[in-house]
Amino acid sequence: MLLNRKSYLYQMIKSELTWIVGDDYVQSDDAEKLGHSIDYYWVPEVWHDRGQKLTGPDFIVHPKTAEEVSKILQVANTHKIPVTPWGGGAGSQGGALPIYGGIALDTKRMNKVLNIDPISMTVTAETGIIAQHLEWEVNKAGFSTMHFPASIACSTLGGFIAHRGTGVLSTKYGKIEDMITSMEVVTPTGDIINTLPVPRHASGPDLAQLFLGSEGTLGVVTKATMKIHPIPESRKFHAFLFSNMHDGLEAGAKIMTSRLNPSVIRLYDNPETAKLIKRVLGIDRVGSYLVFGFDGPEEVVDIQLEKACKICSEHGIEDLGTESGQVWWDNRYKFYYPPYMFQLPQAFGTLDTVADFSHIEAVYHAMHDAVKEQYPKAAYIGHFSHWYDWGCMLYARFIIEQPPQDPEEAVALYNRIWDAAIRAAIANGGVINEHHGVGLKLGRMMRDLHGPAFKVLEGIKKTLDPNNIMNPGKLGFSGY
Amino acid sequence: MNMDKHLDVINACRYCFMCRHLAPLALVTGKETDTPRGRALIADQIRMNKENLKNQDYVQALYQADLSGACRTHCVSSYDEVGLVLELRKDIVDAGVQPQPVKDFAQQFINPSFTITGEGDVLYFNHPCIKVHAPEMKTAFDKLAPKHKTIEGNDCGTALQILGYQKQADEAAEKFVKAVKESGCKTLVVPQPAAFHFIKSKNLLPDVKVLNTAEFLLTLDIPKKSGTLWPIDSDFLKNYQKNNAPRKLLEKLGYKLKEFGITHEESYTCGEGSMTMVFLYPENVAKLVERVREFAERYEAGTLVVASPYTKLALRTYAPELDVISVEEAAAR
Ligand SMILES: Cc1cc2nc3c(=O)[nH]c(=O)nc-3n(C[C@H](O)[C@H](O)[C@H](O)COP(=O)(O)OP(=O)(O)OC[C@H]3O[C@@H](n4cnc5c(N)ncnc54)[C@H](O)[C@@H]3O)c2cc1C
Ligand code: SF4
Repeated sequence: MLLNRKSYLYQMIKSELTWIVGDDYVQSDDAEKLGHSIDYYWVPEVWHDRGQKLTGPDFIVHPKTAEEVSKILQVANTHKIPVTPWGGGAGSQGGALPIYGGIALDTKRMNKVLNIDPISMTVTAETGIIAQHLEWEVNKAGFSTMHFPASIACSTLGGFIAHRGTGVLSTKYGKIEDMITSMEVVTPTGDIINTLPVPRHASGPDLAQLFLGSEGTLGVVTKATMKIHPIPESRKFHAFLFSNMHDGLEAGAKIMTSRLNPSVIRLYDNPETAKLIKRVLGIDRVGSYLVFGFDGPEEVVDIQLEKACKICSEHGIEDLGTESGQVWWDNRYKFYYPPYMFQLPQAFGTLDTVADFSHIEAVYHAMHDAVKEQYPKAAYIGHFSHWYDWGCMLYARFIIEQPPQDPEEAVALYNRIWDAAIRAAIANGGVINEHHGVGLKLGRMMRDLHGPAFKVLEGIKKTLDPNNIMNPGKLGFSGY
Repeated sequence: MNMDKHLDVINACRYCFMCRHLAPLALVTGKETDTPRGRALIADQIRMNKENLKNQDYVQALYQADLSGACRTHCVSSYDEVGLVLELRKDIVDAGVQPQPVKDFAQQFINPSFTITGEGDVLYFNHPCIKVHAPEMKTAFDKLAPKHKTIEGNDCGTALQILGYQKQADEAAEKFVKAVKESGCKTLVVPQPAAFHFIKSKNLLPDVKVLNTAEFLLTLDIPKKSGTLWPIDSDFLKNYQKNNAPRKLLEKLGYKLKEFGITHEESYTCGEGSMTMVFLYPENVAKLVERVREFAERYEAGTLVVASPYTKLALRTYAPELDVISVEEAAAR
């Protein structure tokens, strides 16, 4: 619903929103609308770059409390206008884009740390807090969240909850859904509810897991309690070079299935080693670069490190040593700053997925073939970055150096590659996504992925959001 | 257009989020416009269509920028997002579409005159920001270094430069340089960090030793102090000049320094980099001060010590309950 700015209805809604949050915190100017019409999804970027008209919100509203969020949602229900939560706007799936106009509900003023509990080792915070700020505040108390995504500087706690995000140390400390212990949520009709105070119980289905990953379609998460950890006494890394990715995958899987407890394992395929490991870390080698790290009490770290090194050395590889591992850790965010990160005019997409160890390599090759089939000149690179007892995540990327100049052609090609690659992943045992979410970009595949189970999700959506005001058109749910 | 010098910044920042956590104003307004990304998107719109330069929503956003330099300092490639905004402001002024309050405010700095009083080899620049808003900084300096000349009368072009009045800034700087030369002094102490940066970065006085107050006081023999202070670094000294003299001085004096806030990377100056926010956008300064007040309370900070009269003014105006002293006052205690 894009409102006519000159209409009295527009003015009425604006007044009602202003009464809730105050004059300063409702915007409808061109500058702020522009900022809220492009997130980290390539499509709005190229649309903007090629001078096309973007779809922005009618209003940007910055509530300070859950009560204000509740009132905003009540206004939206009354007037039947869409509401799209916006955290850092750094999501890559178009999840925060207000594609039907209406209200962009920017959460960043809800940014307080409310309590650090050193006994239970938890922190409770408002969800508009930027992850790096949360980490700094927790550090001040002598702890760490251990949530270190590459977007720690730009994304909010609520954004990570909404997309089931993850950080580089997820292999030991878990994804966000493993870290969160409870949440406060404002439902689409304005009720302020809490999930149970603990994440493990036998008191019925777990509502927390319902809202985790709901991408703003089932309500606004306003507070969350998450685990915190002691700052480890020791943190050590080690790197190896495998002649090929297959051997690296085998070694990584063996580390995990031996039930060692690395905080991180990251294996780069040969093309990414040649491209990014060289450019960012200055390690110029042919092969697959693998780095792992352990943290905790020093003697525990040393024993585990030794065992993991032994597993790797069974594959007749080159030992790059601790320094080449440490350099990766020190530069782990550098990959994402310009000019190291891919940028227009390139077209690029992160085709991340996850599968068990028996299928992950097939998924890698299937996606590779799908990308090449759609556009033979596309580069395909990837790394395996979040490891589980049973499988690992593939962070594959396609890159097109010179996509078509015409924006419609460029977007059509982009969509085609995504569709083919993700469908290939699903066909080979993968899923739509591991930690970036679904958003606008991949919604069309939700029904295929979940099969009849998607009806269950649709039923929940209909019950919670009878007027379909919350982030319509995302996560595969119907548009406005 | 002036902004064309920074097309690389537009390309880098327009889709980049990696320093938003250090964009001071965005942290209190929640607005995307107040981040380097938000401003680069505006710049990109102007790049694509020059008519957009007249869009007052864009113009306002560009004049509200805090210009702290914290993002540029953080950026692994040091993209000059501050430089981009300053060049855009020149384009706005060239097009005559700057907001009326900016026009009115700039008038007081155009065509300045300077007077010199006192005796000594050292010349102290009694910048209007100090003379009018923080005279206690000069009083403290006088106590520590009684024998010096004083130059005063107006700003040396800094504010005009920041507001986009390039020609008038150059003229003001020329007059200032002439007056300094006439003083015969070979050392100039510039207690206003913005002016210090302006003079140093333009190398206006190659034959004169230009020092900020802390650098100058480091050369004196000042009695030792004790106690704990929470420094709020100046944007111009820390992020623009990479100058650590205030902390060095305070440590040399024997003060124990505690880190204010949650990170050394964030700017807590309440808009010092903009030099004019406290006059032109006081509502934003009130929000920035509120963040400082909250951190002071949460982390039980005692006396805050600042290098900039601007920050002192902002904190005094919006959080008078905070105990804030300048570096000079700490030294003269
Ligand atoms: C350079 C870069 C690197 C990245 N690296 C990582 C990484 O290492 N790990 C990772 O997981 N992701 C990464 N991402 C992606 C991004 O950081 C995540 O998707 C993150 O979860 C988005 O959070 P946000 O606050 O930016 O959310 P937004 O983009 O603003 O929103 C994302 C979705 O969440 C919804 N939402 C936001 N806040 C709330 C709330 N409080 N309640 C309900 N719904 C809400 C929105 O409606 C939208 O659907 C990266 C992104 C960038 C730009
Ligand atoms: S200054 Fe650097 S980190 Fe900040 S937006 Fe620009 S490119 Fe990104």
